[in-house]
Amino acid sequence: MTRILLVEDNEMNRDMLSRRLQRKGYDVTMAVDGRQGVEMARAGAFDLILMDMSLPELDGWEATRQLRAAAETRTVPIIGLTAHAMAGDRDKALEAGCNDYDTKPVELPRLLGKIEALLGGPK
Amino acid sequence: MKPPRRRRNNTAHRQAALLRLTTAIAAATSERDVYRSMVVGLHDEALGYNFLGVFLLDEASGDRVLQDAVGWPDVPAQWRVHPGQGLSERALQDGQLRYTPDVTRAAGYLPSLASGSEVDVPLRVDGRTIGVLVVESSEPNAFTAEDFEILTAAANQASIAIGRARLLDEERKRVDEHKALLDTMADLSSDLELPRVLQAVLNRAVTLLGVTGGEVAIFEEQPKQLVVVASQNIGKDSTGTRLGLGEGAMGHAARTREPLIIPSYHEWLGRSGQYADVTVHSVMAAPLLIGRRLVGAIATVHSDPHRIFGPEDLRLLTMFAPQAAIAIENARLYASAQRQKQYFEELVQNSPVAIVTLDKTQSVQSCNPAFERLFGYPSSEAIGRNLDDLVATDATRSEAEQYTQQAFTRPVHGIGRRRRKDGTLVDVEVLAVPVIVAGDPVGLMALYHDISELLAARREAEAANNAKSQFLASMSHELRTPLNAIIGYSEMVQEEIVELGQTDLAQDLTKIRTAGHHLLALINDILDLSKIEAGKMELHLETFEIRSLVDDVVATAGALVEKNANRLVVNLPPQPGRMHADLTKVRQMLLNLLSNASKFTARGTITLTVAREPDEALGGTAIVYRVADEGVGMTSAQMDRLFQAFSQADVSTTSKYGGTGLGLAITKRFCQMMGGDVTVLSEQGKGSTFTIRLPASVVGDAP
Repeated sequence: MTRILLVEDNEMNRDMLSRRLQRKGYDVTMAVDGRQGVEMARAGAFDLILMDMSLPELDGWEATRQLRAAAETRTVPIIGLTAHAMAGDRDKALEAGCNDYDTKPVELPRLLGKIEALLGGPK
Repeated sequence: MKPPRRRRNNTAHRQAALLRLTTAIAAATSERDVYRSMVVGLHDEALGYNFLGVFLLDEASGDRVLQDAVGWPDVPAQWRVHPGQGLSERALQDGQLRYTPDVTRAAGYLPSLASGSEVDVPLRVDGRTIGVLVVESSEPNAFTAEDFEILTAAANQASIAIGRARLLDEERKRVDEHKALLDTMADLSSDLELPRVLQAVLNRAVTLLGVTGGEVAIFEEQPKQLVVVASQNIGKDSTGTRLGLGEGAMGHAARTREPLIIPSYHEWLGRSGQYADVTVHSVMAAPLLIGRRLVGAIATVHSDPHRIFGPEDLRLLTMFAPQAAIAIENARLYASAQRQKQYFEELVQNSPVAIVTLDKTQSVQSCNPAFERLFGYPSSEAIGRNLDDLVATDATRSEAEQYTQQAFTRPVHGIGRRRRKDGTLVDVEVLAVPVIVAGDPVGLMALYHDISELLAARREAEAANNAKSQFLASMSHELRTPLNAIIGYSEMVQEEIVELGQTDLAQDLTKIRTAGHHLLALINDILDLSKIEAGKMELHLETFEIRSLVDDVVATAGALVEKNANRLVVNLPPQPGRMHADLTKVRQMLLNLLSNASKFTARGTITLTVAREPDEALGGTAIVYRVADEGVGMTSAQMDRLFQAFSQADVSTTSKYGGTGLGLAITKRFCQMMGGDVTVLSEQGKGSTFTIRLPASVVGDAP
């Protein structure tokens, strides 16, 4: 089963998105801030990481940079999640090393399309 | 015949006497000298003429008046011989030498000698006989042809000398007149007070012409009248009298631009009723002209009926008038300049704006009461001081000095902070300009306007506006978080109940989700607008393919277009090329226009046209996106409000068509940020066309 790490500080968003992805057949693990996200990503072998950009402790851009710098996670696809209209946030996400980005609130079909594109087709 | 006289015996002496005579006459410089040298010269012993006199004809009386004599006993000076008396009248009458060999036998002889002979030789100047030389001898038959020859030659030479002396005299008189006139002019020109000048002009004229009195009037263009401004000794004070052109002596001279002489004013047909009571008799008037321009008129009068103006008076007045005109004009110009000066001084004194002038050394030359009030320095304290020493603060010193320096050559405008005498600070708007007099820079003038209150008000307004934007931005963020949950969970539940087959709940969930999306769109738009207004919206410029942008937008808008059974037609040039702009914002704008078009059109065609057009104003090339619909269209009043925030064409539209009413306001702001604009053409019932025009290459961070 495809393993996804969801790094998201907002509890409701985390709960909602994880449950919806699980219902689509993904194995979803959750982290609540950037620091924890980096630790967990390096410890477990994930197929893809969904990274919120505004996170406590360590923000999403810095966490992404660290993941790209670490050998274990250098090639893991990362999708950045940014707030609406924050064009600067999206550019920064790509600069930090995200493979793609999506805006919140998440529209599930669109996000699934991006996930599948990065993982090479539906599982 | 009497025996020959002694003189005939000495030719050499006679020759010498004749030479002395000739030399003396030639050397005479006045008429009187000529007569003297003639009678004295002829009275020489060598010539032997013992009794000689010269008479001049007085044309008025016809009398011969004795000018000079030698040898005659007891003859009064200026002895007058009346017409009909004496032998010399005949020579005067026919201009010929007359010889009377025996006076005792001649009729009309006035005995000056008891007996003898007399020769009368006429004196002729310019073809006219002006007098007669009378030579007598106590013996009858004393004169010979040779005497006639000598006396005629002497008289002729004397005549020439008289003519010359008279010319010389005339010349002297003119020189004296010129000198008098020059003195007059110098005197008049040195005074610039108009009333005094006018009085002086009149006094001079009266003295120069030796008249009883006169008047001076100045000409007023409106209503083309002469106004008497100086009056002297004409039997009444005529000052203030107004004369139309052609009225009275001065009016007549002013109208004809020519001087005139009126021998008897009260019999003159052109006399003015306003002068019925004056005591004048003969009047001479002249216009006062500068070139052909009428400045005024002058009149001089004789109240003595025996004195009548003649050509000589006219000549003098004609010489005097132009100088008087110039003097009056100078005084008027000076008065008008004084009035203007006073006017400007009043303006400066009463100006609510602080005004200060500096000389070339940057020292204060003058300042007005508003300057005194603004900075607290009385002018007495400010004058002579360096302006920047007075009012610049330590912090603004160099800036203030720079202003001052620049203002000597060109106008400077700025806003700055200055210090009052009491040390308090004041915000001022400064306008400084060079003062250039006749091409020569002499200093500068600076205006200070107190804008402390204005700036405070602006700072307050800006702070309030910032607070509002901050509030909106944070509120939007706070609102969005729970909203995301509402939308997300309702979508999730919907997915679940569809799977569970409970479709009766699906409709209600759709309503929750739609309402949530609408609220989210509203919040996002408010966030955009508040960021734009707070100046925090940034441009993220990138170069992108126009074709991919359009493909992306068309795909996204597909569902919207089809909702009202509309058709989307895209007109894209074969090589649309790339543009350099904020991709996200261009996409957002196009989606907004397509979304609007879809909302307001049903079963129609929506056309998106893209074109590259040359546009100098937009840096060479413009990319034009045009969205045309066949919807409800708008009135011009609706179009006017269209791009303002929270204004759909009609309040009811929002409820009927949905939308936030902010999309076009945001589109307008985005376009302007990128240096372009959005415009609309519409007709009610026939659809609308929105045109976005952007530079093909947006320059970074246009405001």
